[in-house]
Amino acid sequence: MEAGSAASEGSRLNWRIWAVVPVLLLALVVGVVVSSGSSLAELVGTNPPPADEFDIRRVEFSPGEIRITVRNPQPDDLTIANVNVDDAIVPYTVEGSTTLGRLRSSTLVVPFDWVDGEPIVVGVTSSTGIETVEEIPAAIETPQPSVEGFLGYALIGFLVGVLPVGLGMLWLPALRQASPVWLSAFMAFTAGLLTFLGLDALFEAFELQAGLPSSLGGSGLVLLGVALSFLGMTALSGRLTRGTAATGLTLAFLIALGIGLHNLGEGLAIGASFAIGEIQLGAFLIVGFMIHNVTEGLGIATPIAKSRVALLALAGLVLVAGAPTILGAWVGGYTSSDVLIALFFAIAAGAAFQVVVEVGRYVARNAPGGLRSGHAIVGFIAGVATMYVTGLLIA
Amino acid sequence: MAKTRLTRGKLLAAAAPLAAVPLVGKLAFEGDAAASGHDHSSHDPFRTLANHERAGIGHAAMIGDEAPAVGGPNDLDALLYPPPALPYQPGRLREYTLTATDVELEIAPGIFFPAWVYNGTAPGPVIRATEGDRLRVNFVNAGSHPHTIHFHGIHPTNMDGVFEVVEPGGRFRYEFEAKPAGLHLYHCHATPLKKHIHKGLYGAFIIDPKEPRPPAQELVMVMNGYDTDADGGNNFYTVNGRSFYYAKYPIRVKRSELVRIYLANLTEFDLINSLHLHADFFRYQPTGTGDYWEFTDTVMQCQGQRGVLEIAFSNTGTFMFHAHQSEFAELGWMGFFEVMD
Repeated sequence: MEAGSAASEGSRLNWRIWAVVPVLLLALVVGVVVSSGSSLAELVGTNPPPADEFDIRRVEFSPGEIRITVRNPQPDDLTIANVNVDDAIVPYTVEGSTTLGRLRSSTLVVPFDWVDGEPIVVGVTSSTGIETVEEIPAAIETPQPSVEGFLGYALIGFLVGVLPVGLGMLWLPALRQASPVWLSAFMAFTAGLLTFLGLDALFEAFELQAGLPSSLGGSGLVLLGVALSFLGMTALSGRLTRGTAATGLTLAFLIALGIGLHNLGEGLAIGASFAIGEIQLGAFLIVGFMIHNVTEGLGIATPIAKSRVALLALAGLVLVAGAPTILGAWVGGYTSSDVLIALFFAIAAGAAFQVVVEVGRYVARNAPGGLRSGHAIVGFIAGVATMYVTGLLIA
Repeated sequence: MAKTRLTRGKLLAAAAPLAAVPLVGKLAFEGDAAASGHDHSSHDPFRTLANHERAGIGHAAMIGDEAPAVGGPNDLDALLYPPPALPYQPGRLREYTLTATDVELEIAPGIFFPAWVYNGTAPGPVIRATEGDRLRVNFVNAGSHPHTIHFHGIHPTNMDGVFEVVEPGGRFRYEFEAKPAGLHLYHCHATPLKKHIHKGLYGAFIIDPKEPRPPAQELVMVMNGYDTDADGGNNFYTVNGRSFYYAKYPIRVKRSELVRIYLANLTEFDLINSLHLHADFFRYQPTGTGDYWEFTDTVMQCQGQRGVLEIAFSNTGTFMFHAHQSEFAELGWMGFFEVMD
């Protein structure tokens, strides 16, 4: 017995040593290839010169000044040599390094008398004379952190996130009177709504990812976010329900969480687009978001139609689903991480899809006639259609 | 002025981590001021200060050290000051050697252009002869592409630099009588033509009349552009090859002394270029031929056009000159005369 365990101990050690061997060999080969430089390419031809284009991440406007944040998206170093505004060479200073290593950023500060509300084009030229151009549709002063701005974003987030979800939850008394057939139709409606939100977020994530420099924006970034949240939500619901299908408050919480993650992305998008002057945040858009999001409250309320839930818990559900919009608006309004926003949308998509699975399971088990019943099918389609139609208000 | 502004910007930025709270307060204040409709005439003392600083923004401030130009004070003298005119002498031989090479030219601070040049610069050296001189130009192609030298003027067609393409490593001797008097050009005529010219293979070619022009301070200005990202449009414009060079190093001339400028346009892509002089007028003789002189402060030249300007500045001071295409001016084609007693 003792001899046997010693042997297995030894073989386990061997296994670990052997596991390291490929890694060491790979490191060796990597070293050789890197030190060979471009001589490998010379066997088959000549390497093209690097693109020498910058990734212009953010252009900020303050009175008499433009700040341009640039990143080097390519493997080779990139040197900032010239800055143009509207096709004119302008004086500038660099905050950070003039020569940027891979994925390094610097900010260019340009004293410039820009014209409020007019389109403007900034260009950054590398030492090889390649100019990267960014067209700003309308120059407007970039919001700086201020108490008013902070509260303003919070109010906007509240109006488009918390308030409509809360209003939607007020369908609860009506739902309590509804027949099981109607309830399962509303659950299917919720599944349709979440499918729409998931697809919407996924599309947004892919669109943002496509705009990133290729060294940061592989589609794997989106898959990572989706997998992370889908499996994270799966683990969470497994833990909450101890393996059984989610019902009642648990299901309502999962739906609220899925919607909340989506609303975080929505808040980010609103904040970021507003900060860079891409959207007009008028009453029409805010009302559009309110109408679009009010059905989210209905979705959260449906699973708890037949259970007794404390008022505090209901308020908690509203906050879980709606408050992330406020957080998103803050982050989007004051920072610029395109990578982070793409990842957030991917996370929102994964979460929404996972909740669709949970809701589907619930409908399959609890609804009269299951998933194939007419009211489930019509409810699902009605959910998608409602989101589509109200979504036109914010397009 | 611009310097003060930049220093202030830097200070603000440097102070940000140390004093985030006051900074936020200040920025919020500036934001409020701007929100009230960009009213610069406000009595607010801070707004007045900012307005005063704004005067320093843009190319008007780019003189001396503010101008983003490459190199030292006398770098372009060989291109700006032509060799002296020689009096007419029958049967005289004038001999030049031009070598084409591939070089990386720094045309603006930190911007390197892969150029093809005659004798190391774009534009190439000034070739000068007197009408009736025998002109001999020995051409050596030390570049990596086939080149020629095509001269404007009157000469036999086998000396025209079109059909006799000189391969890399090859040589060719151009020899002909210099005529007619005027300001002409020379440039490579190998194909693709647009590429060979805009890469830098061109220069000014002065033929002095037998009856000499009045003595003057003579200058040569060759207007050109550089398409650094090969998109068919120029990214930088210059006179004599470096953007904003004469803004950094103004050309010094004497008041009341005759100044003669041989001006040629070798800009590719853009159909026309121009020269506009501030605060005075000059007279302009198209192609440097004939008896017609125009009295003006702005001349326009098509690609390949050229002419002779004459002026005796009536005042001292700093006189700006630039392309009147504002875009070209703000992309490097701007300079100053420093007129002194």
